[in-house]
Amino acid sequence: MRPSAAITGWAWRTPLGDGVDAVVGRILAGERAAQPNPSFDAESYACRLAAAIPGAPRPSKHRKFVKRMGLWGMEVAGEALTQSGARGAGERLGLFCGYGGLRAHWDDLMPVLTGQAGDGSAIDAWDRGFKLLHPFWMLFHLSNNAHALLSIDIGAKGDGITTGGANAGAQALEAATAALEAGSIDTALVFAYDSLVEPETVLSLGASGAATSAALESLAAPYDERAGGIVPGEAAAAVVLERAADAGDRALALVEARACADGEGGWPDASTLAGAIADMAEGVTVIDGAAIALPDRDAAERAALSEVLGARAMLLATSASTGALGGAGAIVQAIALASFLRRGLLPPIAGLSRPSPGPLSPLARTEATEARKALGISAGMPGLVGALRVEIP
Amino acid sequence: MSKTERRAVITGVGAVSAIGVGVSALLDGLAAGRSAVRPIKSFEARTFPTRVAGEVPVVETNAGFVKDTLGALLRPGEAEAWERAGLLRDRKVCFGLAAAAEAWRGAGCGEGERAASLSIGLGLEQAFLEDFAAALDGATLCIGPGGHAGGEGVRFRSRVDLCAELLRDVLGLSGRIASHVSACAAGGMAVAHAAALVTRGAADVVLAGATDSMVNPLGVGGMSRLGAPSPRAEPDACRPFDKKRDGLAIGEGAAMFVVEEEARARARGARPLARIAGWATTQDAYRATAPRPDGARAQAAMERAVRRANLTPEDIGYVNAHGTGTPLNDAAEAKAIRALLGPVPVSSIKGAVGHLMAAAGAIELAACLLPFTRDLLPGTAHCTEPDPECPIAVIGPEPLPARVDHVLSNSFGFGGQNVSVILGRVA
Repeated sequence: MRPSAAITGWAWRTPLGDGVDAVVGRILAGERAAQPNPSFDAESYACRLAAAIPGAPRPSKHRKFVKRMGLWGMEVAGEALTQSGARGAGERLGLFCGYGGLRAHWDDLMPVLTGQAGDGSAIDAWDRGFKLLHPFWMLFHLSNNAHALLSIDIGAKGDGITTGGANAGAQALEAATAALEAGSIDTALVFAYDSLVEPETVLSLGASGAATSAALESLAAPYDERAGGIVPGEAAAAVVLERAADAGDRALALVEARACADGEGGWPDASTLAGAIADMAEGVTVIDGAAIALPDRDAAERAALSEVLGARAMLLATSASTGALGGAGAIVQAIALASFLRRGLLPPIAGLSRPSPGPLSPLARTEATEARKALGISAGMPGLVGALRVEIP
Repeated sequence: MSKTERRAVITGVGAVSAIGVGVSALLDGLAAGRSAVRPIKSFEARTFPTRVAGEVPVVETNAGFVKDTLGALLRPGEAEAWERAGLLRDRKVCFGLAAAAEAWRGAGCGEGERAASLSIGLGLEQAFLEDFAAALDGATLCIGPGGHAGGEGVRFRSRVDLCAELLRDVLGLSGRIASHVSACAAGGMAVAHAAALVTRGAADVVLAGATDSMVNPLGVGGMSRLGAPSPRAEPDACRPFDKKRDGLAIGEGAAMFVVEEEARARARGARPLARIAGWATTQDAYRATAPRPDGARAQAAMERAVRRANLTPEDIGYVNAHGTGTPLNDAAEAKAIRALLGPVPVSSIKGAVGHLMAAAGAIELAACLLPFTRDLLPGTAHCTEPDPECPIAVIGPEPLPARVDHVLSNSFGFGGQNVSVILGRVA
């Protein structure tokens, strides 16, 4: 089986920087973006580390409708489309958005909240503050606002869906490849954005033990025997997809994706991770793992994946460098894996010093490879999985 | 059987709307020409500009409601545990569970369907005013675990994907997942996506639909400030395609469907209720806050859906319009329908149940079963003086007796995300 969708353009904003080549170089060098949370004072939180995107989005006329991560999503989508040279436009151009952050933001709701009486039946709630709500508050919080405004900016009139959740990027990729396959569009612009670096999310991840409570000096990598949880991260990433036959020499890589889930409230079960890649695994010996970074979970993942890939497959963990990226993870993985394969180099798992025993081979140093295909798998809550297969032409 | 021969059929449906709990309540109400937009009861809305809504006639969602609607699908004590954890306060969670359980049971699903996929449309995150007071320190919001946090959450919020999580847990679903958050087009997109999964062989069974509720202070307050609802706090606040229409009525509820590959469904003895014959999505690429006045991209969505269904425009016997009751939407949609489908009968049920936002497309597809089950086309509540600027054959407040074989439903989301879905009668 060979994926039929070709990536012809890509761009991202990651905690390690902006340029694809530069960030890939840093991942291959084993760098990691984790640092004491630079976004807010997290000293009283269980998890005090984060991997945040440096800087701010470019000034935009859309800032009254779209928050920081959405603006970055729009930026990278525009850059990827420009880079691709894709011919699909207008009604032949589809737009597929993965919106990871299904979370309201309370900062701009404060004028409403501070005057409330804490009364669930909301007596006088309008006069106590709702009348002060910004008229665009609802639009500001709509899950598809970045998608809608981007479609206007680039004139995308073909298929379009916005997906949500911690595997939203994989959902968007899957929908885009299906639309290309069906022939209803010629070009699919797929973008996703998510941030786990916000107070509510960091709080929840820390309280549940999913995020690390370590200090930076003692932070252990995924698949390390001392692993203690993920580092919350954030990213915006975009790829342009075309049918492989149309892309020709412009194809940077071929990709297919899958999004699935089980009934778990926390991380997905290891069998769900393995099931997600089962019919994409033929001939693959390299996988970028879910990297949940908890010893029991990591061991279960490795055991389950080895049933599909064999015990000697190479195990990467891009998120050890970038932090956990939620709904943006799958698209970042697609770009990163394609870049690694194109360079013939596989990156080390950043910070891995004492790999836990078990099947698969977690990479502790950069290695040359002749592999031309790789899998990526990402895990999110509740019970969500994204999976993808990347090949270089 | 080749993938191109696979057909997607609906074998189960569940619905919760202002007309009542259960799809029979919805269809009975529409058949009787009922309208259920009323003064809001679930919170004190008298000081809000918007004081009426299509509110589900359930004052409080709790363990009792969930046990009544899910029954034996629950594990002992599960509903009570959810209630203690505060998971049932968000009305859309309970409505989604209830609709899904009805669809699942109606389709006769069991162990053989546990690997089903889930394609669900979801709305905005809910927050609870009663929790904020305790979380506020002056003008600082002190987030953190509390009475409803379940040890790991933030107490004043209900995750938007909570219903999806509980559904997967209760029904044991382990297949693919698609969470649609394309605003008011999400429900239609969820069902279209399910049909696409089935017909291309990526899934045999998909639980699909949507749930939403904005009948709460945050939702009603936010929509009121936006100016989208009708300023009239009357039961006829929403009058789609009427000359005097002046805005929407907020609604709440859910509709879920079991979407299944037809041969598989028939082999296990399930009775197809309708075939999902065609679907398509397009984008306006016009403005964030207004549809294209000429309706060209909405027309393109309908046209592509008709083509995918291997039909001609003349085959469409009824259109269930997005029909929000806002001046701009109805005029643009009417132009699109007229241009493609001519004098086909058209109605909108939003005057009767309100605008269910993310769940609008789903509840309206449930309403589209009325023509197949009772040879009735739903009416357009409160449309008593059709607007000449909407040059279509609007069905008035009473349902129209007619036998049709194909119906088309439109949903349009913020910023111009359009989806059209065609259902076909099955033998």
